[in-house]
Amino acid sequence: MNAILLGILALPLLAALALWALPIALGDRLAALYGAVVSGLVLVGSVLLWQRTEGWFAYSGVQQRLGDSMRPLAAVTDGPWIPPLGVRFHIGVDSISVPLIVLTALLTFLCCIYSLKITPRIGRMRSLIALLLVIEAGVIGAFSAMDLVLFFVCFEIVLIPMWLIIDIWGDDHDRAGRKRAATTFVLMTVFGSALMLLGFLLVYRQAGTFDLVQLTNSPVLGGHGVPLAAALLIAVGLAVKVPLWPLHIWLPDAHAKAPTVGSVILAGVLLKLGTYGLIRILVPVLPDATVTIAPYLAGFSTVAIIAGSLACLGQTDVKRLIAYSSVGHMGFIGLGIASLSEAGMQGALFANIAHGIITGLLFFLAGAIKDRHDTSDLRTIGRALYARLPRIGALLTFACLASLGLPGLAGFWGEMLILLGAYNPADSLPRATYLVFMVIAGLGTVLTAAYFLRLIRNLCQGDPADNPASAFAVDLSRIELITWSPLVVLTVLLGVWPGLLLAQWGNL
Amino acid sequence: MTLTWTDWQAIAVPLVLAIGAVAVLLIDAFWRSSTAQLRHTVVTLLTGAVILFGIVFVWAQRDDFKPAFCRPVTEGPAECSLVFEPLTAGLWGVLLIGGLGVVGLSAYRLLSADIPVGEYHFLLLSALVGATTLAGARDLATVVIGLEVVSLPSFALVALRRDRRGSEAAMKAFLVSVLSTAVMLFGISYLYGVTGSLHLTTIANRLNGLDANLERVAFAAGLFVIVGFGFKIAAVPFHAWLPDTYVGAPVEVTAFLAVVSKSAGVAGLLVLVVTGLAPDGSDLRLVIAILAAVTMTVGNLAALRQREAVRLLAWSSIGQVGFLLAPLAVGDAQAVVGYLAAYVIVTLGAFGAVAVVQRHRPSGLLSDYRGMVRSEPGLAVALIFFLVVLAGLPPGLAGLFTKFAAFQSVIDAHLGWLAIVMAINVMIGLAVYLRWVAELFLLPADDPFSVDIETPAVVMVSLFTAAAVVVSVLPSTLFALAT
Repeated sequence: MNAILLGILALPLLAALALWALPIALGDRLAALYGAVVSGLVLVGSVLLWQRTEGWFAYSGVQQRLGDSMRPLAAVTDGPWIPPLGVRFHIGVDSISVPLIVLTALLTFLCCIYSLKITPRIGRMRSLIALLLVIEAGVIGAFSAMDLVLFFVCFEIVLIPMWLIIDIWGDDHDRAGRKRAATTFVLMTVFGSALMLLGFLLVYRQAGTFDLVQLTNSPVLGGHGVPLAAALLIAVGLAVKVPLWPLHIWLPDAHAKAPTVGSVILAGVLLKLGTYGLIRILVPVLPDATVTIAPYLAGFSTVAIIAGSLACLGQTDVKRLIAYSSVGHMGFIGLGIASLSEAGMQGALFANIAHGIITGLLFFLAGAIKDRHDTSDLRTIGRALYARLPRIGALLTFACLASLGLPGLAGFWGEMLILLGAYNPADSLPRATYLVFMVIAGLGTVLTAAYFLRLIRNLCQGDPADNPASAFAVDLSRIELITWSPLVVLTVLLGVWPGLLLAQWGNL
Repeated sequence: MTLTWTDWQAIAVPLVLAIGAVAVLLIDAFWRSSTAQLRHTVVTLLTGAVILFGIVFVWAQRDDFKPAFCRPVTEGPAECSLVFEPLTAGLWGVLLIGGLGVVGLSAYRLLSADIPVGEYHFLLLSALVGATTLAGARDLATVVIGLEVVSLPSFALVALRRDRRGSEAAMKAFLVSVLSTAVMLFGISYLYGVTGSLHLTTIANRLNGLDANLERVAFAAGLFVIVGFGFKIAAVPFHAWLPDTYVGAPVEVTAFLAVVSKSAGVAGLLVLVVTGLAPDGSDLRLVIAILAAVTMTVGNLAALRQREAVRLLAWSSIGQVGFLLAPLAVGDAQAVVGYLAAYVIVTLGAFGAVAVVQRHRPSGLLSDYRGMVRSEPGLAVALIFFLVVLAGLPPGLAGLFTKFAAFQSVIDAHLGWLAIVMAINVMIGLAVYLRWVAELFLLPADDPFSVDIETPAVVMVSLFTAAAVVVSVLPSTLFALAT
């Protein structure tokens, strides 16, 4: 069991190094094929991990703390790493991390498959695939790290590869812009993670350990003073990654300038590191301090929902629009976590997965539209996608509906549970405040529906006669169909059978 | 002062280095009949052997305590002027490895032909004698002598090329050095006046029982000593000489300045702080902490604007010194030595890579490095790795964990504001190095750098890369240096 986890951590890293060692003459397609095989193996490994883990590990609630027996942690590897600093190499998975690991493996796999046929104009696929694999390893490492410092290291592993992906393979019309976007992304994230590290060190000073299992079992209590400072630093550091308003300013540019696979990984996987960190570290390790800051977290999340949605209404660039919609969705997840209730937490976990799948699909679609028109500007693309690219138009509509939370699709359950959680937050939180947040967030869902429907109307509908088809507008190609269908299937599956995930996290 | 006993093993390493220095000078002077290549190789090997002896010695004796030049005191333990203890072993290890790296970078065909080999290696070894003495010094007179023995060869080295830039650079370094020595001696004289002793432990003991007026004098005296060191290690605001000197010197000498000379200064300051000149909670520690914050911020911000590789490394080395001063300000020797070791290895590597490029493209602009991942992949990957370690991000785990240790010691000492400044500087520092990394990755390049790299350079850069990889995989080795 732990061999599988170690394997899916080591395989992508070693495979990436091997890929760089291969000659440059290696064909782009061969590199993508290699990446697909490696990430396919990782996907198989991550699915194997799934079967045997059940129950919660880290979520301890605020009032009731579960006994050790109820916190199953599988595939544990625990050994000293840097004894002078008190750092251990401690990894393991539980039901919170396994779905995220599978999501990571799935999206990386799909990106590699997609790259078999559709590549950024600049080429250099060998390096792109290798960087994707490094990111995959880093993210899986972060999702399985049971040591704060190991989490921090894995959190940082993804930064430089992602920076390179945006900087090298990004929007080829706007070199200065993509450079700025990449640099803003990496600098803001690294600052956030440095603050997070300060928080971890404060925790270490209080508790004398970086070990998450020990810290979860005997958390750092106290809602003011050093625990509060630690919680603030950790929350701000992770909020940059989530990103929570007003720390989201790196996100729209980074998503808009990144290549398609970069956007998919960034939105589908990297943003989850932030919310995962909040659930895994902030809530259980600093329970009292979290109660102190939770209303503010909820407030900023609610602002994010509204601000993200309003920004979407004003966007003319389809990739930026989807990026801002991520701000709104991540705001929902933040609200769910800040409610500190079981429903809110489950909703946040569910929305995490659902957002990864749906936004991954949306960015694939946006990339496809951008590739076909050589721009992502809605005004230049024109209208009447239904007539010009019927299948892609239909898929876009499907993904938009899923994203706006149509019941029966995956986007619905998470947000519903989150609103439920905000309606009934943990007892130690001010309920009236949360009720206000819930109402505003509910308005946010309406705004979400508004901008997605506006996108569909502006892009898909319209008179085909006014919007002549561009010369090489090919509708859905086979590779796109293959890549996207798992996401479509999962969106429907999780929509009609949310219990698939929710059952893992205990009863409501 | 009557010398009563000396454990000669404690001064074995400086002695052997000094003998080696004289030997290489004589070989070069009296063996003119041989070819330049043979002479250079012999001198390099001899210098390397001498330093290697030092490293082996330090490794073998790392857990021992060996005092030298001691005399008994009526009350308390004996006063010793030079002590070999685990902390000394760690510092000597770092200094000697740095020296060995510089020797390797100055091998035949790498060092510019117009630099006299014998003098160069003589000066190098002399400076190492001073550096090791300084790191082991336990009285203020020895500190000053050690520091002077590091400094005098340093600006002679800078001037070795004998052109106008070199002379100007050496002149700047010389004037600053003289000034800093004067300032430091002034401070030391006051310390002596206040405490009546030059021995660090005795000074530390007597500082505790001073009355308030004398305490103020002692604080001012300590301040002067720190300012003196501030000039040597180029802490802001005493850094103005550094960029011009670095750019004016040959790249190998710049590597020496950045590695050996700077480490020696840090080592001396560390010895002063941990032996009690600035005990826990003293205002002097706060001064060093402020110095650290200002130094790292100014250094990194200025590095952001540089367009030349060496100038960027010069300013970023100021930023790195700021990071070194942070754990130093709280007296955490383990974090300082670990940081210093990682810094020495990757700085040597970065200068080694820069030297390769600069030999063929003297302009030394960052744009010379464009597209090197494709045209010169091995060198580019090594350079990227060094820069990433300097920035402290994965895969450069050595840099990450030494920064981590610095953060940890600062947090443990309740210096929250310094930790925040450091966090901001991690971000700025990353921006500095990423600019360079971006150039390396940029394709297509119209005139990519591609040459037959000299074999010794390949060997040295590979060695530095290997060392950096090892300490990245096993960061605990860095922190085992000083326990």
